[in-house]
Amino acid sequence: MAELLLDPKIRLWVFLPIVIITFLVGIVRHYVSIILSSQKKIEIIQVQDSQVMIRARLLRENGKYLPRQSFAMRRHWFNNEDTGYFKVQKRAAASQNPMTDPGMMTDMLKGNVTNVLPMIVIGGWINWMFSGFLTTKVPFPLTLRFKPMLQRGVELAYLDASWVSSASWYFLNVFGLRTIYTLVLGENNAADQSKVMQEQMSGAAMAMPPDPKAAFKAEWEALEITEHRWALATAEADLLVNEAKEQ
Amino acid sequence: MSFNYDELSHTEIFDLLRQWRENNERRSEDVLYFSEVIVEDPLHKLGSEKYVVMEQVIYAALDCHYYTIAKLWIMMLSEEFPGSLRVLRYKAACLEAEEKYEEAMEVLDSIIKADETNSAARKRRVAILKAQGLIQEAIKELVDYLKKFMSDMEAWQELSELYLQVQEYSKAAFCAEELILHQPHNHLMHQRLADIRYTMGGVDNLELAKSYYCQALKLNPDNMRALLGLFLVTNTLLSHYKSSGSAKRKEAFKLSQWAQSEATKIQRKAQPPPTIPALTNMMLSLAVTD
Repeated sequence: MAELLLDPKIRLWVFLPIVIITFLVGIVRHYVSIILSSQKKIEIIQVQDSQVMIRARLLRENGKYLPRQSFAMRRHWFNNEDTGYFKVQKRAAASQNPMTDPGMMTDMLKGNVTNVLPMIVIGGWINWMFSGFLTTKVPFPLTLRFKPMLQRGVELAYLDASWVSSASWYFLNVFGLRTIYTLVLGENNAADQSKVMQEQMSGAAMAMPPDPKAAFKAEWEALEITEHRWALATAEADLLVNEAKEQ
Repeated sequence: MSFNYDELSHTEIFDLLRQWRENNERRSEDVLYFSEVIVEDPLHKLGSEKYVVMEQVIYAALDCHYYTIAKLWIMMLSEEFPGSLRVLRYKAACLEAEEKYEEAMEVLDSIIKADETNSAARKRRVAILKAQGLIQEAIKELVDYLKKFMSDMEAWQELSELYLQVQEYSKAAFCAEELILHQPHNHLMHQRLADIRYTMGGVDNLELAKSYYCQALKLNPDNMRALLGLFLVTNTLLSHYKSSGSAKRKEAFKLSQWAQSEATKIQRKAQPPPTIPALTNMMLSLAVTD
């Protein structure tokens, strides 16, 4: 097959513009998401819940350093059937449907505005503006399987698979610029789109906020089966034993 | 550490300030001295670290009672961050330092109203009540705070000390136990609880005090206070056990002897100046001759 020659103007008017556009869009996304981001307000009840959980866990782990009576008193306070903290506190189960929570809705909308919208708009525009160009060639041979990945928009059956079309070049840029963003904007920037894609994949499972009711129940059970073993019972003897050894 | 402050370059000054911030060194007068050097130009080249430095200067100024300087810097910060709760907290701190407690309280209340989870503001409220000598009110406030923020160790410690001030020993002991739950490997926590139990008196409490002193000594054999505490506790216990003559009495006696010899050893190692009367003699006068 005869060697293809690309017009140098393609480099100037297609190859480089795509790189620059994707890069700049990433930068703009970063700043727009900073403007739009709303600081998540923490509810006092959430703080209280988490602190209670920490205290209960500490009681379980370090309760052996307290006298039996003190330990039982604290456990009673947490676990008593009628008045125990874990029994009395009625927390509404975490909102079942995020659509019912208006705060959640705006957050989702903002996420979509900064993440999905530019992806669609810019991607569509690039597809329309620069469609049908071959932009570059990877310097190694590839199998036919790579054709749909690298030659989106150029459906030529006999073209060597190592040629890259403009639309594919755009996607390569979207995913490949991450390290450059880190360099320019610092860690944890919002410019990177591949992160968004990953989030959308696993988003459905992660979106559930922790449910205090279930957590309380688990902690209640764990505390209920904790046995008190007075850790200081041998403290005096240990001291005297060490003494005996020294002599 | 002594520096010829005039010869330091600006970057050296900022490095020094950062070092003090990280090590929690107060050194307020030195910070204030630097603040005059850096206030004009170099501060603005610093980027976002600038604001932390400004905070440091404000607290330094309050430490040294230079209220006007503190107010000036607070003004500078509040121009940059209008409506910031953190800046509001500096204002409260300034009012508090000037002993305008009512106004400080109002500012703190407004912070809490804006952000219910602001624990620092709630703690300051307790501190103000304590500064006014309203211990009972401070305790009430702190208990309310602890209902919300149950794993705040500092707060438990403070509450324990407040209860000690009003001689509510059993409640203070409860707080000290809470401290042990948080840091079971800190010998000072065990020693603190033992001190409280010993003060409460009664055979049961003395037994507990003995155990906790022993635990403190196990964790840190050099804890002299715990050693002396153990000595006193066991001696008191001996007098309580007088009638029984049981194994418990033997153990207490052994511990008492051990504490005495241990204290003597440590004291010999320390080699006190000859003017101080020997501790051994003082302890001998206390010891129960068996």
